[in-house]
Amino acid sequence: MMLKLTRAAAPALVALAAACGKPPAPAATTPAPSARADSLARASADSAARAAARRDSLAAAARADSLARAQAALSRADSARQQVQRQSADTAPVLTAGGLVAADAAALADPIHFDYNKSDVMAADQARLDRKLAVLAAHPRLEIRIAGNCDERGSDEYNLALGERRAAAAKRYLVAHGVAAGRVDIVSYGKEHPLDPGHTEDAWARNRRDDFVVTKGAN
Amino acid sequence: MTGGRWMVVAALVAAPVAVRAQDTTATAPGVRVGITYTPGTRPNLAVLPGASTAALDSVRAILQRDLDYSDRFDVMTPPAAVSASGDAPDYAALTALGADLAVAVVPMAGAPGAAVEVQLHDVHTGSVRNRLALPLPAGGGEAFRQAVHRAADEVVHWATGSAGVAATTIAFVADGKLWRVDPDGEGRAAIPSAGRPALSPAWSPDGRLMAYTAFVPIGRPLVIQDLATGKRDIVPGTEYGVNITPEFSPDGRTLAYAHGDENGTDVYLYDLRSQAVTRLTVGRFYDNLSPTWSPDGGRIAFISTRAGLPQLYVMGADGSNQEVLAHFDFGSTGQTNGPEWSPDGQSVVFHREVHGVPQIFVLDLATRAVRQITGDGRNEDATWAPDGRHLAFVSSRSGTRQLWIVDLETGRMRPVVNTDGARLPAWSPRRTFFSEAG
Repeated sequence: MMLKLTRAAAPALVALAAACGKPPAPAATTPAPSARADSLARASADSAARAAARRDSLAAAARADSLARAQAALSRADSARQQVQRQSADTAPVLTAGGLVAADAAALADPIHFDYNKSDVMAADQARLDRKLAVLAAHPRLEIRIAGNCDERGSDEYNLALGERRAAAAKRYLVAHGVAAGRVDIVSYGKEHPLDPGHTEDAWARNRRDDFVVTKGAN
Repeated sequence: MTGGRWMVVAALVAAPVAVRAQDTTATAPGVRVGITYTPGTRPNLAVLPGASTAALDSVRAILQRDLDYSDRFDVMTPPAAVSASGDAPDYAALTALGADLAVAVVPMAGAPGAAVEVQLHDVHTGSVRNRLALPLPAGGGEAFRQAVHRAADEVVHWATGSAGVAATTIAFVADGKLWRVDPDGEGRAAIPSAGRPALSPAWSPDGRLMAYTAFVPIGRPLVIQDLATGKRDIVPGTEYGVNITPEFSPDGRTLAYAHGDENGTDVYLYDLRSQAVTRLTVGRFYDNLSPTWSPDGGRIAFISTRAGLPQLYVMGADGSNQEVLAHFDFGSTGQTNGPEWSPDGQSVVFHREVHGVPQIFVLDLATRAVRQITGDGRNEDATWAPDGRHLAFVSSRSGTRQLWIVDLETGRMRPVVNTDGARLPAWSPRRTFFSEAG
C-alpha cells in the first residue's frame, strides 16, 4: 500500500520536470568539489548528482515561473506520504518491513548541539551520531535531512551560513563513517526556528543545534 | 539676519545634547563616538501659509514634513500675515522671523486639471529663486503623495545642490514577508513574494527588480522578482544549499550573493544577461557572505569568518586582493555583519557587536577610522539612503524592533512609524517601480 502511493508520487515530480522541458543547468554553476579523502570525494559526487537532479526540476519550475506549482507538487507528495504513514499506523502498530522501532527513531531524531559561533561536532555528541550510524546501517533505505540552527545572536544572514556549516559538519561525520552521502540532505534555518524563545544562555545553548528528520524509507 | 543666526545656533546647541543622551550607553574601546554636528550650515526655511483648500493644505503638510526630514533646514511655520497668495510674501516680516528661505504653494490659474505652483523664495534678495508646476493626481492617494515627495526633493535640490530622498521607499522584512514603507512612515504595503520567510530584499539600481532569499520546502533559492509584472526567476545554481545576501552591481548587470553548501559559504556573481555564474571566494569550511559593491563597481566589501568571528574584508570585483577592510582585534572585537557601501563611495556602514549587542558603525575609507553611530538598544542592518547621509536601520531602542532613520550630518534619529518587527531594510534608489506606477 505504502510503496504503491510513494511510487505514484515520484513520477508526478518527474512529469513536472519533464513537462517544463528543461535542459540540465551548466556545470559551471556547481562549485568545484574539493579533492579530499576518497569517502569525501564520493560524497561530493553523490551530492552533486542529487543537487543536479533537484536543480533540473527547480530550474524548470523557475523558467515557467511556477515555483508555486513545484511547491504544490512537493506538498502533494508529502501529504501522500503522510497519509500512508497514518494508514500504516492504523493497521500496523508494530512497524515492520523496514519500519523503525521507537528506540531507533529516537536515536535518529536526537539533536546535537554546538558552542557559540562554532560548527565542530562536540566530543559529547559523537556517541549520538554513532547511534544514528547504527540505525542507518541497519536500515539502508533510510534517508535523512539534517537541519542546522543557531541562537539569536549574530545577524539573520550570517546565521544562515553558520546553520549550513553546522548541518554540514554532522553530515561529514556520518559520511566519513560510511553513510552514503546521497542519503543525507542538509538545510539551514539560521535563527528562524528557535526551540526556546528565551534570551538566556540556556535558551541559546538549546537553540544551537542540528535537528535530524527522516525523509524517506522509515516505513 | 542676526535673529536668524541666533536661532540656528540655538538649534545646534540643543540637538547634539539629545543625541548624546540617547546613544552613549556603550562604546567599543578605541572607537570615537560618532555624531558630530556641523554648526552654522542649516538655513531657516519657512513653509508659507496661503489660500486654503484640502489639496493645498495637504501639499503644504507633506512638503513641510519632507523638508524637515531632509535634515537640511530648520523648518518654521510663520504666522498667516506673511502668506503668499499670488503676491509676494512679506519678505520684511520673514527677515524679522529669521527665515533665509521660504516655500510657497499657490494655486495655478488657468492650468488644466488640478495643479499648484511650488515656489522657493530667497528671503534675503526678496525674490523667487525657483518654481515648478505640480500637477496633482486625483484622489489624494499614493500617486498624490509621491508627486509631492518629488517636488520636495526638487526644492531640496534648489536650496542645497543635491536632491532629497522623500520620493523613495524602504523595503524590509516583517512576519516573514516583504514590505515597503516610505521614509515618512506612509504607504506601508506588502510586496507579494515567494517563500516564508523571504529575507534580505535588494533593489536593482533602476528600482524595477528585487532579489531576495526565499525559504521554500525545497531549499533556500535566490529569487529575482520583477516588481511591475510579479514574474519571478530563480538564480541558476541557487536551487540547492543556502543562498543569501544578494546585491545588484551599480550598473545592474550583475548580482553578487553568497552560496553555502557542504564546503562552506562563498561569494558568487551572477551575470543577468549571460546567466553565467562566477565564484569569487574559496572558503574551506568557513564563510564569505554579504557582498556589497563600491559605486564604481570595481571593488566588493564582504564578511568573512576566515579569522574566526565574522569581520569586514574587501576584494576586487574579480575576487583579487582580498584583505581586511575594518580593523579588528582577534579575540576581542565583536562579530561584524551587514555591510553596505555608501553611495558616495567614501564609507561602508556595518553593525558590530559591542558587549554582545549589535551597534551601527561607519568606516571612513580614506582614513580606515570607524565611528560608532548608535549605543542605545540593539541596532543593526543599516542601509544607505541615495543621498549618502541618511541611514535606515533596525533598532530595539523603543522596546519593539522597528525601523529608524538617522541623519549622519546632524545626528537626528527618528522612528519610521508602523514598522514593528521590521528587519533587513533596503533603501530604494530614487526611482522605483512603485513611484513610477504611483
